Amino acid sequence: MSKKTKILLVDNDVDFIDLNKAVLENNGFEVVVAYSGREGLDKVRFEEPDLIVLDLMMEKHDTGFGFAKALKADPIYKNIPILMLTAVASETGMDFSQELDGYWMKTDGYASKPLMPDELVKRINDLLAKTQKENE
Amino acid sequence: MGEVTNILVIDDERGIREGCRRILAAEGYTVDTAEDGKAGLEMVKTKPYDLLLVDLMMPVMGGLELMEQVRQFDPEVIMIVITGFATIETAVDAMKHGAYDYIPKPFTPDQLLAVVSRGLEKRHLRLQAKHLMEERDQKLLEVVNEKSKIHTIVNSMADGILVINREHQLVLWNPAAIRMLNLNEQLETGKDIGAIIPQHALVEIINKAFSPDSLRYTTISEEIELPQLESRALMVNVSVIRDESGQELGVVSTLRDITGLKEIDQIKSQFVSMVTHELRAPLSAIEGYLAAYLTGAAGNDPQMNRQMLERAKQRAHSLLELVNDLLQFSRLESKRVERKKELLNISGIITNTVELLKNQDEAKEIQFQVDVPESLPLIEADRSEMEQLFTNLISNAIKYNVKRGKVLVSAKPNKNFLDIKVTDTGIGIDEENLPYIFDEFYRVSGPKTRYTTGTGLGLTIVKKIVESHFGRIEVDSKVDKGTTFTIKFPIKKREYKGS
Repeated sequence: MSKKTKILLVDNDVDFIDLNKAVLENNGFEVVVAYSGREGLDKVRFEEPDLIVLDLMMEKHDTGFGFAKALKADPIYKNIPILMLTAVASETGMDFSQELDGYWMKTDGYASKPLMPDELVKRINDLLAKTQKENE
Repeated sequence: MGEVTNILVIDDERGIREGCRRILAAEGYTVDTAEDGKAGLEMVKTKPYDLLLVDLMMPVMGGLELMEQVRQFDPEVIMIVITGFATIETAVDAMKHGAYDYIPKPFTPDQLLAVVSRGLEKRHLRLQAKHLMEERDQKLLEVVNEKSKIHTIVNSMADGILVINREHQLVLWNPAAIRMLNLNEQLETGKDIGAIIPQHALVEIINKAFSPDSLRYTTISEEIELPQLESRALMVNVSVIRDESGQELGVVSTLRDITGLKEIDQIKSQFVSMVTHELRAPLSAIEGYLAAYLTGAAGNDPQMNRQMLERAKQRAHSLLELVNDLLQFSRLESKRVERKKELLNISGIITNTVELLKNQDEAKEIQFQVDVPESLPLIEADRSEMEQLFTNLISNAIKYNVKRGKVLVSAKPNKNFLDIKVTDTGIGIDEENLPYIFDEFYRVSGPKTRYTTGTGLGLTIVKKIVESHFGRIEVDSKVDKGTTFTIKFPIKKREYKGS
């Protein structure tokens, strides 16, 4: 049996992490978690995940953008696809088709929170398929 | 003159006085007589006369001197000289002293009446002229007053005013408008407004008022932003002035600075957006747990599913707490908050709060030490807000404590203040987060607080209560050692009494 696909969840929302960890594990993924961007970058080095699910807004001084920027600047890990999640889109009227602060192109997929568990599984599978196609 | 005509005859010859009196009285005039200049002057001062008949040669005060004095006193009175030696010289001399006419002695009744009636005609004209002049002066004064009144009102208005004629020229403005638009104080009239007012948005609104379809509305109201002027916002009202035929004469534009209102508005909507964000997090967690339970997305392990329901219930509970805190918070925010401030010994409030909260988390086995004397100096405070304040602080001290940790509560006077300390031996707050702990919805997130529920409003409420009681709050914290909150309330009365 092939090695399980490893997903890294980065979010400061403990409920989001616990729930989706359970759901993803139930769907056959291996799941590692991090509660901040900094912790997430450490986890990338130790765990070398196949895909990262990243929350856009974590803390004032620790945003998903910072994480994505750091990761995509790293020559070893820049190819790990990032699925960016955000709860702020509807509040700020942010348009996800636009580049934002130059970080926009550095992530690979976007989804708005709240996201139902099965929807997240679908988005992860879509992004994994897309990445695989590009790498072939 | 329609009414009574008063004539005074001043002559030292009784015959002349009496003769004149009879002739003139017969014509309906009211006639008084005086026998010398001095007596005559006295009478002029007490009664208004229309006409004086004055003999030139009199003892005590001569006719010329009398006339001189009367003229100072009443310039409109007609004076006619009666003279025995009617020469050109004396006549001219008399005229110089203010006489209107003269009549030589002896004279016939007809001659006298002719001279008097001519004099009275002149008197009538003089009075009319005087009246007209007074009327004109009064009108002028009114006009001047009205003008300066309007000028003063316009110039004192807090709202800016611009009046533009139909040639698009600025014809009237006030200092408020100059200030709001940052215009040159030496404005030139007669220039096109587009050349004077650099704010295109404002010029556009004014132009709109001039457009043909402006007949449809009475006033155009629009908000404009002036990014070049410290982002000030103005409410602009423009009305068209029309004559009776509907022809437009120009427009009046008033400007109101609404920058302050806009700022409040923005703070409000920011708060609303923060609140919705805070409400959504637990709600979407609840929805997620329930959806996972119902769809079996997280598998069929009964223990796992039960855990998810437990968590959903916890979230629902924290949501309720948040709503309660929000209500409390908005109560404190509203300026009309009714505080029942009284002189309080807060000793009992503190010890009761500790008693109530002691068993909040039995599993933690927290030790409490209360160092609060029964009698404390009195402070002026609202009892229920004090209860809320200590509830929030002490429950935080428990919530963020470690197992078998300690909570120490003390109160003692310190100079003019009552110092109250709440100390815990908990996880502490790192320097990075310390400046933000009183901010709305700010919660320190870290591995140790991950599963601690809270609304992020507890300390905000504490700070608001302290400030509304003219107190101060300080915080001292070390990571893994604990946190001490010190509150200082001004002492109102040193008289100690039991609670």
